[in-house]
Amino acid sequence: MTRFDFAQGRGTECPHEAQVVHAVLTGSWPAQCDDELTAHAAQCEICGEVATVAAVLRADHDEARRAVLVPAAGQVWWRAAVRARLERAQAATRPMTWLHGITGAMAIGVMLSVIGMAWPSITSGVEWARILVVALVTSGDAAGAVTGALRQSVIIALAAGALLLIAPIVLYFALSDD
Amino acid sequence: MTEEAFRTFYELTARPVRVYLARMTGDERLADDLLQEAYYRFLRSNAAFASDDHRRNYLFRVATNLVHDHRRRPRVEVPAPNAVHETAAAPAERHTAERAAIRIDVSRAMSQLKPRERSLLWLAYAQGWSHEEIAAALGLKTASLKSMLHRARRRLAALLKNPGGRP
Repeated sequence: MTRFDFAQGRGTECPHEAQVVHAVLTGSWPAQCDDELTAHAAQCEICGEVATVAAVLRADHDEARRAVLVPAAGQVWWRAAVRARLERAQAATRPMTWLHGITGAMAIGVMLSVIGMAWPSITSGVEWARILVVALVTSGDAAGAVTGALRQSVIIALAAGALLLIAPIVLYFALSDD
Repeated sequence: MTEEAFRTFYELTARPVRVYLARMTGDERLADDLLQEAYYRFLRSNAAFASDDHRRNYLFRVATNLVHDHRRRPRVEVPAPNAVHETAAAPAERHTAERAAIRIDVSRAMSQLKPRERSLLWLAYAQGWSHEEIAAALGLKTASLKSMLHRARRRLAALLKNPGGRP
């Protein structure tokens, strides 16, 4: 009848166990249930243990269930719907964020290659600045000095203008979250 | 799932799940959070179920996994072992001091069990589920569940007999 657990050195199952649990759960244990069953539980270690544990847990469950407060179903549904919508929106903007990052990286790459190509002009620009400073210091004619220097390096001026145009666009794509 | 169907399902399951979560975590506030999360994950899964029992088992499985996930996370705040009793003490004013004391003993004994033992005992003896239902909800094999349940029951019985000591 009783299955034996070698590790524990005693029986682990009794065929009346389910009846005892049922009696406890239906509230008929011990007064309103079969006398034979109560007599058996008094003798059987397993059923006695089941009756004790089940009675205590069921009483605790019933009392806790009476006392517990749960949010309204509509509230739970609404919160879940809002959260699902937010998660969907976040998931939808994720590719855009990637796109922004890639665009920013590409713009930086373009800028670096432009700088690389224009490097000889940049070095000549340094020379241009030096001439300009020297001319200003020696002649005192600022307008003439600037015009003279510009004549020497039109490319520098064009590169500076292009940078001024590209920089805000690059910054916008790199930093915007939307 | 439609909102109407959800309402019906929620009315049937919310209280048992909430009580289950409170007993598993020993923390009433955490149980509230996990309840909301459990229903959210349940709704998000959008799974098809063969029956209401299957649906309910799935919800309890989600709730159980949430409790386990929470336990695995690094703890910021460790709830007191008798947090359940303290928060539950206010409604217990309606009841006798003796019944409240029994509840405290039960909660204290449960808190000394392993999480899986708590789940097994609660579903078997407080919820009255069959071994098959418990196995489905906890992702266990029915054959191994019986011996696990037996061991858990022995431990709880020993703890209830001797509330202050170890089983």
